[in-house]
Amino acid sequence: MSNGEIPATTLNIPQLLLVLVLGFLAVRWYLSGPPSSASSSRSSSRTPRIDYARVDQVAQMFPQADRRAIIWDMQRNGGNVAATTERILSRGLDVPPPSFQPPLPPQATPSGGAGARANAKTPAHPDLITRYNLSSKITPTGSSPLVDSGSDTSTPASTPSKPSWSTNKTERALQLQRRREEMILEARRKLEEKERAKTAVDKGKGKA
Amino acid sequence: MATSVASKRLFHEYRTLTTDPPDGITAGPLSEDDLFTWEALISGPADTPFEGGIFPATLVFPKDYPLAPPTMRFTCDIWHPNVYPNGAVCISILHPPGDDPMMYEKASERWSPIQSVEKILISVMSMLAEPNDESPANVDAARMWRERRDEYERIVRDGVRKGLGL
Repeated sequence: MSNGEIPATTLNIPQLLLVLVLGFLAVRWYLSGPPSSASSSRSSSRTPRIDYARVDQVAQMFPQADRRAIIWDMQRNGGNVAATTERILSRGLDVPPPSFQPPLPPQATPSGGAGARANAKTPAHPDLITRYNLSSKITPTGSSPLVDSGSDTSTPASTPSKPSWSTNKTERALQLQRRREEMILEARRKLEEKERAKTAVDKGKGKA
Repeated sequence: MATSVASKRLFHEYRTLTTDPPDGITAGPLSEDDLFTWEALISGPADTPFEGGIFPATLVFPKDYPLAPPTMRFTCDIWHPNVYPNGAVCISILHPPGDDPMMYEKASERWSPIQSVEKILISVMSMLAEPNDESPANVDAARMWRERRDEYERIVRDGVRKGLGL
């Protein structure tokens, strides 16, 4: 009688529960294991992640800087915008090794044309007329400065000679822009006049 | 806190430069939303090969301005002994005091909070007229300036014309 009860007690209820709990945990661990290990290996992949928003930020500040060089620099300093900016300004970026080919960000495809053009060794700096889009404001050669200043006042109530400080932020920006444009156009006009005078002198010399 | 001090100071300097601009200089922030990046136009000083030219430059201010100086970089092609080929300007007023192990520059010429954007731009203007031969940033330009002045001046004049789209 008592002999018959012994096999029954070898597997009592607490033991059964323990086995169930352990089995459950084992299954849980097995199921959750693969995804977590995959994600950790993805984040710790050998090339550090590049924050393209930051790269864009620097590239917008310095359109003439090579994008690959910016990425190279930021990858080495841990994506520090300030440090990269500083380096561009102080001594320029190092040229990345040819083997360094950063993956191009997907959002850069619309501006891919601009990037390709920058890579293709075009002159780094456009002239001021192109840069400030002033070609439409260039007065034809030979026009008197009077006519020019008349056409300049496309924005009313502007007294070009008298500097003023507007309380309005956008107005101030406009004023600054106008002063810049005037300075460039004026310089161009003077240089043109000078060159015309010079060619006239040269012609006179030729005749004499 | 430091940033707001810097912003206030920069805004004040912007205002002064607008209401009382020095001859041949136009400068201001690219946008008032970011007072730490400025664009400046400097006209070439008279009686130099730079005469008649307009030279754009970008100034970037540190967050602890005016304790630390800004950096300045020409955004045009400029052939000058004290301008690096990438456009960065090398001039004593942009160097913080105590940073020059060679002791080329007197402390009074270097950056200090009593200097200003206006003073920097005026110094750069006179630097265009009188290059400092002692520590050239562009060695080729410096050598040409010393040895073949005619050629140097021709390159500078070409740059002036190109910059104005002529």
